[in-house]
Amino acid sequence: MTRHLALSCGLLAAGLFGLVAGHDWLSPASLWAALSGDPSLQGGLILHWRLPRVLAAGLVGALLGTGGAIFQGVFRNPLAEPYLLGTAGGGAVGATIALLLPLGMPPVLALAGLSFVGAWGATWAVLLVARLAGGLDTGALLLAGVSVAAILQAIRSGLMLALSDESVSLQVVLSWTLGGIQTPAWDGLALLAALTTLCLLLAQRLHRGLDLLGLGDEQASAFGLDTARFTRLAVLTGALVVAIAVAWGGLVAFVGLVAPHLARWTVGVRHGALLPVSAGYGAMLTMLCDGVARAALPPAEIPLGLVTALVGGPFFLFVLARRVRR
Amino acid sequence: MSVLMADDLQFRHESRLILDGVCCRCRVGELVGLIGPNGAGKSSLLRVLAGLRRPDRGRVSLAGADLATMPAAQRGRLVGYLPQHFEPAWDYTVRDMLALGASRASASTPRLGTMARDFDLEPLLERPWSRLSGGERARALTAAVLVADPQLLLADEPGASLDVQYRSALLERLSLEAQRRIVIVVLHDIELAVRCCARLIVMNAGRIALDADAAVAARDPRLDAAFNIRFQRVPIDPSLGPLLPMASPGPATAARKRARQSDA
Repeated sequence: MTRHLALSCGLLAAGLFGLVAGHDWLSPASLWAALSGDPSLQGGLILHWRLPRVLAAGLVGALLGTGGAIFQGVFRNPLAEPYLLGTAGGGAVGATIALLLPLGMPPVLALAGLSFVGAWGATWAVLLVARLAGGLDTGALLLAGVSVAAILQAIRSGLMLALSDESVSLQVVLSWTLGGIQTPAWDGLALLAALTTLCLLLAQRLHRGLDLLGLGDEQASAFGLDTARFTRLAVLTGALVVAIAVAWGGLVAFVGLVAPHLARWTVGVRHGALLPVSAGYGAMLTMLCDGVARAALPPAEIPLGLVTALVGGPFFLFVLARRVRR
Repeated sequence: MSVLMADDLQFRHESRLILDGVCCRCRVGELVGLIGPNGAGKSSLLRVLAGLRRPDRGRVSLAGADLATMPAAQRGRLVGYLPQHFEPAWDYTVRDMLALGASRASASTPRLGTMARDFDLEPLLERPWSRLSGGERARALTAAVLVADPQLLLADEPGASLDVQYRSALLERLSLEAQRRIVIVVLHDIELAVRCCARLIVMNAGRIALDADAAVAARDPRLDAAFNIRFQRVPIDPSLGPLLPMASPGPATAARKRARQSDA
């Protein structure tokens, strides 16, 4: 109970930080005035520009935290992460195609749909390469993930050079792939919120299977889990979660790694509690980093992916060092 | 009363023949020991019997139902499997392990508390796996496997890494369990197998070389042939008592007392 309260307070604080931060910092008084319907220009900007952006950051972060928890559970590896596994990279290739090619579909649909196909395909590619290389241990998985991610990045760069012309600015695609929450309109935000809710509910259904998988393939199977079928289902769900995060937030590194770790330290390793708490930490982290991205170098804005990588990269090295030493 | 039937099992792994024409029939009431030299196919047979591997030929049935085609969830309820090596990916607590074992049971009232008491795990419930001793891990895993009350228990060298008093306590526990369910245990220690098991199945090169009551099997020359060694049989003066502390006052003994009381 106190944990729920602490997590909610943390979320609220991160959200407030996101609202206050920017190239001009707000005082609490003017924030309060804006939220309570101040008709001034600043009030309007906060309400219709900064608030949806902060909410979108929170939702994308929740998706990343959930995706990270799913992939760490499926791979039984605390270093698995959508960004390192190539899942996000695959999603980015799909999204690049959607951004650069006129497909005759509504852009949101094309972006989310192709991201999903890319994310799903890339995850399976990593899984198969790692299996061929001798199992799902940390080494094989990371090498497979890094190599698949490198290939995907090359494909994406090639696509960007080949497909961009005067009508599509390369700058748009590039800034998006570096990770950045686009400020959504209210209807776009509502769609993202609905999809995020759906994803969190779908992810929650995986909790018992992820717990059992943690016992190892054989014991999970002995405890009545159809491991092959469950792995397919979990990878599909994880890819969906990550694809939606990528479609709205670009490539945001390491949130999916850090959030599940923080969650494991606070609520333990069972996925029933781990999945939602990891989503909460993901939201918190992303709102904080997005605030920093907007406020650190005014008037420019640093891509969100760079901020999370600067925070999450050292964390990854820390976890890796602890694991290698063991 | 349920019966485990294995009929003409053949199992290949990477085109190598691991099991060849294995037939056996086990029932409740006798602890069956599965012994044989390294590579004889003991662990593979156990996995096929557990429904974890599908035989290339033949059929395993428990109380008439084919284990290979049964839905995984149903198989999980009916069969308990104790692996040789077990290392969870996450640092589950003893309570988590028991809960995961119980989650496969059909009954809505898992016997978590009773199991924790029987296996002397009550003070350890909140302790994570990484901070348990070898003996505590063996007890926790056995309890997690048995908490769903499976009809069949298959144990692959349980407690191979344990000290002798824990190992014999574990085997005593298994022979107690054999009164309520079918129990087959793979053992490396032949002497322990002869002492603790009611029946021995001796495997060699993927086939069953000998299947008999433990006392009979112990004197059979086919036992020597399977291991390609001549055993020396030493009669033990009964007044010396058992060489192994079979009646150690461990958790299993306490459980047996409780079982006797509930029978009365």
